[in-house]
Amino acid sequence: MSALLELRGVRAAHGRITVLHGVSLSVAAGEVVALLGPNGAGKTTILRVAAGVHPAESGRLLLGGRDVTGARPGDLARAGVCLIPEGRGVFPNLSVRDNLLMMTFAGRTRAEIEEIAFTRFPVLAGRAGQTAGTLSGGEQQMLALARGLATDPAVLLLDELSMGLAPLVVGRLYEQVAEIARQGVAVLVVEQFAAAVLGIADRAAVLVRGRIERQGDPGDGLRAELSALYLGSAT
Amino acid sequence: MSTPGTSTEPGRNENGPAAGPPDEARADRFVRELAELKIPDPAAGRAALWLRLGAVLMAAGVALAAAAYAVSHGTRDPLLQRDAITLGLGGVTAAVAGSALFLRYSLTGFLRFWMARQSYDLARLADRLLEREARR
Repeated sequence: MSALLELRGVRAAHGRITVLHGVSLSVAAGEVVALLGPNGAGKTTILRVAAGVHPAESGRLLLGGRDVTGARPGDLARAGVCLIPEGRGVFPNLSVRDNLLMMTFAGRTRAEIEEIAFTRFPVLAGRAGQTAGTLSGGEQQMLALARGLATDPAVLLLDELSMGLAPLVVGRLYEQVAEIARQGVAVLVVEQFAAAVLGIADRAAVLVRGRIERQGDPGDGLRAELSALYLGSAT
Repeated sequence: MSTPGTSTEPGRNENGPAAGPPDEARADRFVRELAELKIPDPAAGRAALWLRLGAVLMAAGVALAAAAYAVSHGTRDPLLQRDAITLGLGGVTAAVAGSALFLRYSLTGFLRFWMARQSYDLARLADRLLEREARR
C-alpha cells in the first residue's frame, strides 16, 4: 500500500520564524511512525500541518496520494484525519459520556461510539458519568484516544501521548495504539521520550531544528544515536 | 508489524455521510473520499481579509458621508453641493456594504458555536424528557 499520509518538502513558520525547513515524511496504512526530537524541533507543527490546521508556506501535503495542500481542516477530519493534541483534548467540564457524545458529528451514533470506546477502554465504562477533568491523566488520555477512534480515523496523529503519565500507563496506551494500527490506520506519533514509542514503531524519524536528521528502522542503531542527535552533535 | 489495509473497524453509520461498500477497507474508503473532496481556492477562504475590508469600508463610508455633509453646508455653490451629495450617498453605500461584510465575517464563528450549543442543549433536553417518561 502506498503512503496514506505524505509530506513533501514542507516548510512552515510561526510568524517570521521558520520552524520546518523542507520536511519530507510518509506513513502507510497500518504503519506506526514515531517522530522524535527535542523540544522546539517542530514536531507538533508537523502534526498540525498534516491535519491542515497550520498552513505550509511551501511543499505539499498528500493524503491517499491526492494533493490536499490548502484543504480545510474540517474536510480532512471528516475524510478521516484525526489529530489528538498534546494536553489530551477532552472537555474537562463534561462527563465521559458527553465527551463521547460530542463525536457523533462524524456520523456514528452515540451507542456505536460508546461501544467502541468502552470495548477498547473498559475502565471508561465505569466512569461514564464522571466529569472528564476529574479522571486520572491516563484515563483522560484513554478518553482522548476513544474520542479519536469514534471518528473512524484512517490517519491518526498523536501528540505526546506519554506526557505526564506513569511508564506503566504509557505502555498500555501504546499497546492500544499498535492495535489501532493493526486495523489499517496510519499512525504518526510525536514523542519527546523515545523509549515509550520505539517499542511499537515500524519506522522512526528524528527531527532536529526543523529538519529530519535521520529516518528509518527504530532499532538499536537509532537508540544509540539519539542522544547525539538531540544534542546536535551528529554530522 | 502491521497488516496494511485490512481494516476490521465497522463502517460508519449507514446514514452517515461516508457510507460505502460494507467490505471496503478503511484506507480504500479514505482514498475514495479524498478523491471526492473539493479543495477550496485559498483566496476564497480569506475571511480575515474580508473582515478587515468590511471594517475599513464601514469607517471610511461614515467619514466620507460626514465630510460630504460638511462640504455641502460650507458652500452656496450648487455644483459643489451636488458633488457633496453624490459623495455622501457613496459614503453611505460604502458604510452599509462594509457593515454587512463585517457582520457576515465576525458573526459566523460565533453563530456556528451558538448553534452547536443549541443543538447540544436540545439533545440533552430530549434525553431528560425521555428518561422522565421512562420512569413513569
